[in-house]
Amino acid sequence: MNRTGVIFAAEFARRMHSRPFLIGTVLGALSIVVTTLLPFVLSGIPNERPGVVLIGQPALTSAVQALIANDYTTVDRRSHLDAVPNLQFLRSEHDAVAAIIIERDGAGIRALVYAREPAAFGLTFGRDVAPLEAALATGVPVGDIKRHVVVPVTIRDAGGRFANVTSARAAKGVAFLSIILLYVAILINAQVIMSSVAEEKTSRIAELLVATVEPSQLLTAKVLASAAGGLFQLLVWVLLGAASSRIVVALVPHAQALAHSNTASAISIPPGEIVAFFAFFLVGFAQYSVLYAAAASLINRTEDLGAVAGPVLIPVLAGFLVAEFAVAYPANPWIVACSEIPLLSPFVMFSRIAASGVPPWQIALSLAINTAAAVGFALLAGRIYRVGLLLYGRPPTLRQVLRALRT
Amino acid sequence: MQSLVLSGVARSFGSTAAVRDISFTVRAGATFGLLGPNGAGKTTTMRMIFGIIVPDHGEITWDGGPIDTDVRMRFGYLPEERGLYGGMRVRDQIAYFGRLHGLRSPSDRASTERWLTRLDLEWAANMRCSELSKGNQQKVQFACAVVHAPELVVLDEPFTGLDPANADVILKVLRELAQEGVTLILSTHQLWQIQELCDTFCIIAAGMVRASGTLAELRASWPERRIEVEPAEPALRRVLDALPGVRAGSPLPGNGVANVLAYDIPAGTDTASILRRLVAAGDVTRFEQIEPSLQEIYARTTGAHA
Repeated sequence: MNRTGVIFAAEFARRMHSRPFLIGTVLGALSIVVTTLLPFVLSGIPNERPGVVLIGQPALTSAVQALIANDYTTVDRRSHLDAVPNLQFLRSEHDAVAAIIIERDGAGIRALVYAREPAAFGLTFGRDVAPLEAALATGVPVGDIKRHVVVPVTIRDAGGRFANVTSARAAKGVAFLSIILLYVAILINAQVIMSSVAEEKTSRIAELLVATVEPSQLLTAKVLASAAGGLFQLLVWVLLGAASSRIVVALVPHAQALAHSNTASAISIPPGEIVAFFAFFLVGFAQYSVLYAAAASLINRTEDLGAVAGPVLIPVLAGFLVAEFAVAYPANPWIVACSEIPLLSPFVMFSRIAASGVPPWQIALSLAINTAAAVGFALLAGRIYRVGLLLYGRPPTLRQVLRALRT
Repeated sequence: MQSLVLSGVARSFGSTAAVRDISFTVRAGATFGLLGPNGAGKTTTMRMIFGIIVPDHGEITWDGGPIDTDVRMRFGYLPEERGLYGGMRVRDQIAYFGRLHGLRSPSDRASTERWLTRLDLEWAANMRCSELSKGNQQKVQFACAVVHAPELVVLDEPFTGLDPANADVILKVLRELAQEGVTLILSTHQLWQIQELCDTFCIIAAGMVRASGTLAELRASWPERRIEVEPAEPALRRVLDALPGVRAGSPLPGNGVANVLAYDIPAGTDTASILRRLVAAGDVTRFEQIEPSLQEIYARTTGAHA
């Protein structure tokens, strides 16, 4: 009988019943449902334009009011103010977000904005008012200038992957969601696999196990059970996300139009890339699982788990951060390089695949490098695991571990 | 013939030599007592038998061949440090270790039920291991070591932590296993429990074998014999004091102290001649030659070298 299979079955069952796994799965599922529903909910809320107070010559403020009408509601127009506008003034003016003093001199129109939240005040204001400046300088009616300065722009994907900009943006959203999923899955898995190894070591059952099975077999079974648990978790999340969005689309009339563009973006990911997506998920999972298992084998008390988990958490965080940049700049040479580096690439390639077209050779190369790295990590981790499981007493130093590895 | 052979086995950890040179043979069906003080190298030796630790030197064979994973499937191990999955139910735990050792369904379950009955653990079958007392956890651990009907069982301190009743249960089962022809290797400090159970002993100290063989062989090679004489008359004492190479000792517990003369004499001394001289010197009511106990042999052997 295949003992890897026996250990896998037992480990998988223990995993399914472990508290961190159950809590993580439920919280993850809730997050997915909320994330899926949020766009539909937000789109149903009336989008009120923020209010502003315009101060200046009546002709000037009247013209500006017309130009900014698409972005702002003018709650009041005044020719002058006795004092510098402050928060109290803004609150008294229908809770306006800004008071804007508009002046014109020989150099043109100037606007001085007293904003409630300066960092959040839209840059659209300057763009909206620009035609007025040109109209006053040339005498051409504002309407005519507005027609000529706005050039309709149609953006198409040169790679033919995305139907439109909305679809491409939605794909970036999918990429972002994917790396969060991987990140959460790896963190939950880290907790579960480390607890499992630590329990076996601290309860001294490890000695009994390695007397019966090879440590590499034990480690393999644990990692396979971990990956299976992770995939199960991922499937639960994806299915729940899909189901909740379908339910909302069916029940909420205004959600149907919104869903159309998202659905289109999802369809635009070729099946081969979806396979690659899962392949990177598994290979990334395997890499981190063996390292976490090896790290956990070095501790003697479960309280020490945090100390050994820290170093292995660094590449997870680095991968997550780089992957966020990869969503925005998928073709940047540094990002491309990172998508070939083990431990980082599962995250980064995730993002690149979802956000842009990645040449198949890059995907194949990265997969080959990462698979080889996973095997290498497994061999190294297997030796650490074998040594670590029988190291009792104070936590070993790095030198002790290296010396033990050589024996 | 299946036998376990250790030849010149040695293992060091850094500059510490845990096992310097250990050689012994455990024949098939034997009940072998591996004795030694703490730090003698017993646990390291046992771990090397199971490949948990690889020897630096020497060879360990079973049935003339190396001990690989397939061979270890036919072994059972009760390590010194006990360990169970606390959250797993007793029945599942025993069956799991059965499957790990190659039992298939339904024989894993059937064997588990047999051992639950044999160890009086039916009542605990559906309980989680963490809910059991330490002694009962140890019985579960014992069941995990033997559920797959192994050819060789190695037990490191099997009686530690057991109350007398549970120790008797384990002792009884060990006797039954020995009768069934299972090869047993036991390590324990409770020598009185294994003196009658084991047919062969190996005493190690400081990582080396100090004495080995059956109890009769150990006694035969013992350099002294104890004789006790009653009554403790001066005339009899003078006869004993005049013997070459004798040493006054203490009477064994229970034999009284006041009226007993106890002497250690060199092995091979003609005791009949001593008795004749004693009878000629006075009235002798008791003359007994006492063989050294395992406890004495152990204490003297390890005390001299520990």
